[in-house]
Amino acid sequence: MSRDPFLPDERGWISVNPRLATARRIVVLGLTTIGTLVVVIALAVGDRAELGFAALLIGLVVAGWLWWLIGRQVRAIGYSERADDLLVVSGIVFRRLVLVPYGRMQLVDVRRGPLERYLGLATVQLHTAAATTDATIPGLPPDEAGRLRDQLAALGEQRSAGL
Amino acid sequence: MTEPRRTHHVTPLVTVVRAAPVLIIGVFVYGGGEATNVLGGLGTGGVIALILIGVGLYAFFSWTRLTFFYDDDGDLRINSGVFVRNERRVQLSRLQSVDITQPILARIFGLAELRPEVAGASAEGTKLQYLSLEDAQQLRAELLAKAAGLRPDEGATVDTAPEQVLVQVPSPHLLASLVLQPSTVFLLLLVPTMVAIAGVSGVWELGLTGFFLVIAPITVVGGQFLKYFGFTVAQSSDGLRLRFGLTSHRSQTVPPGRVQAVRIERPLMWKPWGWVRVVVNVAGATGGEEGEDRPSVILPVAPLPVARALLQQILPGVDPFSVELTTAPRSARWRAPLQYKQLGVGATSVVFVTRRGWLVPKWDVVPHARTQSVRLTQGPWQHRLGLASVYVDSTPGPVSVAALHQSASRARALAHEQAERSGLARRLAGPGQPESQPVDAVNDRLAALGLQQPPERSEGNGVEKLGGV
Repeated sequence: MSRDPFLPDERGWISVNPRLATARRIVVLGLTTIGTLVVVIALAVGDRAELGFAALLIGLVVAGWLWWLIGRQVRAIGYSERADDLLVVSGIVFRRLVLVPYGRMQLVDVRRGPLERYLGLATVQLHTAAATTDATIPGLPPDEAGRLRDQLAALGEQRSAGL
Repeated sequence: MTEPRRTHHVTPLVTVVRAAPVLIIGVFVYGGGEATNVLGGLGTGGVIALILIGVGLYAFFSWTRLTFFYDDDGDLRINSGVFVRNERRVQLSRLQSVDITQPILARIFGLAELRPEVAGASAEGTKLQYLSLEDAQQLRAELLAKAAGLRPDEGATVDTAPEQVLVQVPSPHLLASLVLQPSTVFLLLLVPTMVAIAGVSGVWELGLTGFFLVIAPITVVGGQFLKYFGFTVAQSSDGLRLRFGLTSHRSQTVPPGRVQAVRIERPLMWKPWGWVRVVVNVAGATGGEEGEDRPSVILPVAPLPVARALLQQILPGVDPFSVELTTAPRSARWRAPLQYKQLGVGATSVVFVTRRGWLVPKWDVVPHARTQSVRLTQGPWQHRLGLASVYVDSTPGPVSVAALHQSASRARALAHEQAERSGLARRLAGPGQPESQPVDAVNDRLAALGLQQPPERSEGNGVEKLGGV
């Protein structure tokens, strides 16, 4: 067997929509820009323009790195609906795979924030009786999110047997 | 629907007495003077009296407005609230446990607090505060009998189910076990060390600090000792009964089959005595006030054979110590040098067992039928060493099940097998059915799916006997 325990088995991972990267970039880069600008302006006002220039450079490098990182992170997210359980994989450096048997799902949430609505995305979150489960699939097109929710709810109903 | 009943009529008085010290101190500390000025020469005593009368009135109306009864479905209803009405229905088929608590003040008045616990409900609004101890015991027996499916006749008194005492923890054992905890020992060793350093270096403040550090372990050990004093475990038809506490006496009942996961831990210093501690996850109100209200410790200290016998009551046919565990590969010692030798994971047809911990080695057991979800994780360091960890999620509680630092391919197989077993354990049980299934059926299914069955040493795993929640 390969050394990579996160490879999918038969059918492979379904990736999430790349627009999720856009959404995350807007949030993260927005914050980075604001942070950098505050520092740069403060330094410029304080007559330390050369330091301000350095801060601007650092800000740009960090922004570029985050841009690249978010792209990779979003590509690393995947899910797979198997006969008896749902699999969600995520992370590049700290990798995680969550397996949730359908019969264990207590409820399924679909969330859409303002930015997600604007970009046509939705997040599906599965809850079991365990607080540690944390199976979240972000960046789904709303139709797919709705379909997944109904599908999961139906399967959960079928297989459910209490806690 | 039965006749609405009320809590004990002394309740408002107890509430006032309980609130009084805090209020009086509050008045003295925060501008008692100012309030006196505003209220025009009442004097501090007057202000206190006024506040106490207010509290008393509120307590009185709270008492008159709190009623409880059985509805037509036989479930318990509790209506409460002075300004905001709160109507709670306690579905008895979902009853997790019933607690009787006697805080010291209630104890003086011969009263007790009854708290039926239902999965997912907050403790607030479900507690009946206060009943006479006799009434509380009677009501608990009634609730548990109903939860167990018995339908006692209207008005007939339900006898508390007869019980058989399984374990009684002797006080010297309890005290010794608390002193020999790693945290206590560490603090106790820290003190002479700091005093010695102070003596050598001449920084006497350090020695003084060290001296004051003695207080910490004393309070911790003292608090735990009072809390678990006289710990008694008894078996009865309505479940496991736990009774403990010196100043504040508690009595908890865990109905059969409500235990979600079990941990047996053996702090290093307990080893010479062969003692272990048993804690469990019971599905119930998440957290409560401080997570204190659900049963978690079901045996604070006992010799191993006693703990094993108790385990047979909770998970019949399961003995985690006879399950053959796969140890972590040698490369794991670079990731977890201290607990590397303790790491292990194994499974029978009924339970998943993991072992870990260095100062406090722990055995964690979760039945497949209680597995909520499975997680496979790998950090960068683990990736380099070809390792991964598997976490089996249980309901909230002190027990967490983790097979740490297994080889990556083995971890992957474990995670998938466990998800499979969990699904099987559910399906064979069928919706709403008690989850009892012959082991053979599971084995056949696993074999049919081409999953290897881990070697099994335990004997008599006849039937998993766990009621549905």
